[in-house]
Amino acid sequence: MTLFPAPKPLADFAFTDHENRVFDLSRLKGKWSFLFFGYTHCPDICPTTLATLARVREKIAKSAAGAKDVQFVFISVDPNRDTAGRLRQYVTFFDATFLGVTGDDAQLGNLAGQLGAAYQVEVQPTTENYPVFHSAAVFLVDPQARYHAVLAPPFDAEGISRRFEALRAFEGPKET
Amino acid sequence: MRWRYAVLAGLTSALIALAAAAEQAGISVRDAWVRESPPGMAMTAGYMILQNKTSRPQVLVAASSSAFETVTIHRTVARQGMTGMEHSPQIELLPNASLVFAPGGYHLMLLNPKRTLRAGDRVEIYLEFRGGLVLPVTYEVRK
Repeated sequence: MTLFPAPKPLADFAFTDHENRVFDLSRLKGKWSFLFFGYTHCPDICPTTLATLARVREKIAKSAAGAKDVQFVFISVDPNRDTAGRLRQYVTFFDATFLGVTGDDAQLGNLAGQLGAAYQVEVQPTTENYPVFHSAAVFLVDPQARYHAVLAPPFDAEGISRRFEALRAFEGPKET
Repeated sequence: MRWRYAVLAGLTSALIALAAAAEQAGISVRDAWVRESPPGMAMTAGYMILQNKTSRPQVLVAASSSAFETVTIHRTVARQGMTGMEHSPQIELLPNASLVFAPGGYHLMLLNPKRTLRAGDRVEIYLEFRGGLVLPVTYEVRK
């Protein structure tokens, strides 16, 4: 986990979540957010990361402070195939509390740019299985909606939850 | 003396054939598993540890299964700060070495399962090696 000495306030963006609700900057306020970019047609890295994040959440939920102030958001860079319904089926399989969100290319580029998350989708009308490349990192946004830390793979649920709990305790409850 | 040579030649080729069969059987697979995919998702991945116990390189050229529409050998690769998948047409297993198919690296990409696979199920996938050896491998579905 790489912490930024001066967490960077994020600017507004506009996504839609898997319940078709608006997911914008205000949804990041008041909670710690683990963000991961991916797509549901991804057989290896995305399910591996989401399964690990589900274990992270489980561990945080068992900690004294619990997981009420923590959310996990899967950001699909493939809105062409990832509808709200599909995102719901996908993310809730890993954990019932996980959120799936997506937006148009401009909005994806907006947030990805703010976090330094690269992605590249080569949509091909002739095939269902076009290549998608995306950042494999997990981004941590604090309850003031500031980009606070970045986690690089390979991920280990124990290490992530331990470091997160230490960070959360250190930052303490803050007004949002 | 000539018949002796003939017998010897016959014996030798039989021995070579036997040795070849034994060597081919010297590829073993362990810890083979397939990730349970979320409902309605057409894609998942298979992992395993391949061990080449022979003294020659072995080349995995294809994989197939009646449980999926297609099985392809893929590798997760990093490119310009991003991660994605790349088709691996063939993978060479070095002599007396192991090759790990694991999350974030080599995997079998399994597309369109014929039936819903749940944790605990078993599924058979055939691994095809250069030279014609086809190895049936049972994979356990895990969450």
